[in-house]
Amino acid sequence: MTGSRKFIRWLLPTLGLVSALVVAVVVIFIVTVLLQRGTSSVSIHFLTTDTRGAGSEGGIFYQILGTCILIGSALAVAVPPALAISLVRSVFLQPHTRLGKALDLILHLLNGIPAIVFGILGLLIFSKLFGWGKSWLAGGILLGVMILPTLTVALIERLAAVPRAYIEAATGLGLTRGQIILAIWLPQSSGGLITGSLLGLARAAGETAPILFVTAVFSGATVPTGIVDNPLLALPYHIFVLAQDSFHEGARANLWGAALVLVTLITVLNLAALPLRFRLHEESRHA
Amino acid sequence: MSERGAERFPIEKMRVNRHRWIFWSSMAGLLITLSALLATLLFLVWQATPIIRQSGAGFVFGRLWYYPEQMFGALAMIYGTAVVSLVALTLAVPVALGTAVLSAEYLDAGARLVVKSAVELLAGVPSVVYGLIGVLFLREWVYRGLAPFDPISGDSLFTAGLLLAVMILPTITTLCDDALRAVPASQRAAARSLGLTRAESVLHVALPQAAPGLLAAILLGLGRALGETVAVFLVVGRQDNQLPDKLFSWDALISPGQTLTSKLGGPETHLAYGDPLHWAAMAGLAVLLLVMTALCLAAAKGIEKLTKSRAARVAGQS
Repeated sequence: MTGSRKFIRWLLPTLGLVSALVVAVVVIFIVTVLLQRGTSSVSIHFLTTDTRGAGSEGGIFYQILGTCILIGSALAVAVPPALAISLVRSVFLQPHTRLGKALDLILHLLNGIPAIVFGILGLLIFSKLFGWGKSWLAGGILLGVMILPTLTVALIERLAAVPRAYIEAATGLGLTRGQIILAIWLPQSSGGLITGSLLGLARAAGETAPILFVTAVFSGATVPTGIVDNPLLALPYHIFVLAQDSFHEGARANLWGAALVLVTLITVLNLAALPLRFRLHEESRHA
Repeated sequence: MSERGAERFPIEKMRVNRHRWIFWSSMAGLLITLSALLATLLFLVWQATPIIRQSGAGFVFGRLWYYPEQMFGALAMIYGTAVVSLVALTLAVPVALGTAVLSAEYLDAGARLVVKSAVELLAGVPSVVYGLIGVLFLREWVYRGLAPFDPISGDSLFTAGLLLAVMILPTITTLCDDALRAVPASQRAAARSLGLTRAESVLHVALPQAAPGLLAAILLGLGRALGETVAVFLVVGRQDNQLPDKLFSWDALISPGQTLTSKLGGPETHLAYGDPLHWAAMAGLAVLLLVMTALCLAAAKGIEKLTKSRAARVAGQS
């Protein structure tokens, strides 16, 4: 073997290894920083009390609650259209029609709309046109639309993995299309709905830009009692504001604590989705 | 059952009708969702019409943005977005490609899972936390690291690009990995049996065959980079009108700048709403951003489609 061949044989994996090391360093740095700075400020007290002193004292109870309200309402907004779109795409339409492909493209493009554009659209529609001012529901709807592709694609994947034999057997038994949907399609693809929902919740929890103008405030909001002028505190927005203008020592601690809580929440949701994702891949390999 | 009995109990008809609602409500859900989305986007475009009517292409190619004088030129922000995304791609693509080659071509299943998990972890960190890391660490490092070049501060287009590189790394790595894994193992086996080393089979077989998928991965990464707001907002400096005379300018790179997203995320958005032309200009920026990302995503999808039809042709020949 010539020298240059030997060199390339050695060079390529080395380059790969160096790249992977770069990734490892970045991951280790981020995890260490979050744990190191965050753990000292996270306590039961921190999780259960209100923020005081412009973020320099107290906890982040209402920020956590606000984020939970936001992602819960986002999910409630996203599930019905996700079910409708995925049923039309995978059950009512033949698999390779032009309309189906157009739907796929629309979902792909919707998934790529920048978060800040949703923020601007929300400001335009909910705050100004509907006159809601800052409202939790506006944020919930915007985040719901943002996670709609995640949910729908997970459902479509799962619907596509339902074994044909089940459908044929049900048809053979004389069940109508509606009955087959209720008895087979939906129960068999419930895993997709759960996976998609968990991934969607994880994505919605971390978004700042969509709630920037229409939902989030830094202080003075607790539990919403109506729609109009009922803003929320939210973890990402809390971090966003503190990152910009607070260099008080206490605020730093609060900031890293909030960041750790947010990243933990998102990681737990993502991890919870993992087993079902793996199962899907196993099954589709055997199919 | 007699004919008359069947008429009295039209079982098939009852069953069919009882579940018709599923079909109709699904169709209605689909149509309502899509038409609401379309209407909203058209509404945004319509909001931007005053600025197009007033300045035309001057809105896109105008060099100055100074709202008290009603001057709205987006070129400096388009430049900022382009530079930041380019820096991010330049830094992220080699690392992503290297990691993907290692994990798809060299590692066994277990080690691959470790790499994949690490990358997924990066993908799960929200952009505001990247922004926080940017504000408290990266800004300082960049300022010190670039000290010989005398930067104004740690906030610069370069800092934003560096941070963005980390943020788009997971997207590009995962998709490159998928593209490489999609190359049939038989192709590699054939290359190896011809006496090529593993490295050569990667360079001459796997990478060229996966090239369209890799390109699509890069385009999707670019799509993410163009639209990223919060992290960029926190470290880009947000200085208007930082358009250099030359296309590439080292000074502009290490100076504070403004991107389309950092402008839209800033306080000017609220301020603009009272003034129709100013608001139209902001809406115009959002439309520009939408068009740029949509082009990236559509191009990625188009490449994917081309590859599929080519693969089908190859399969048909063999």
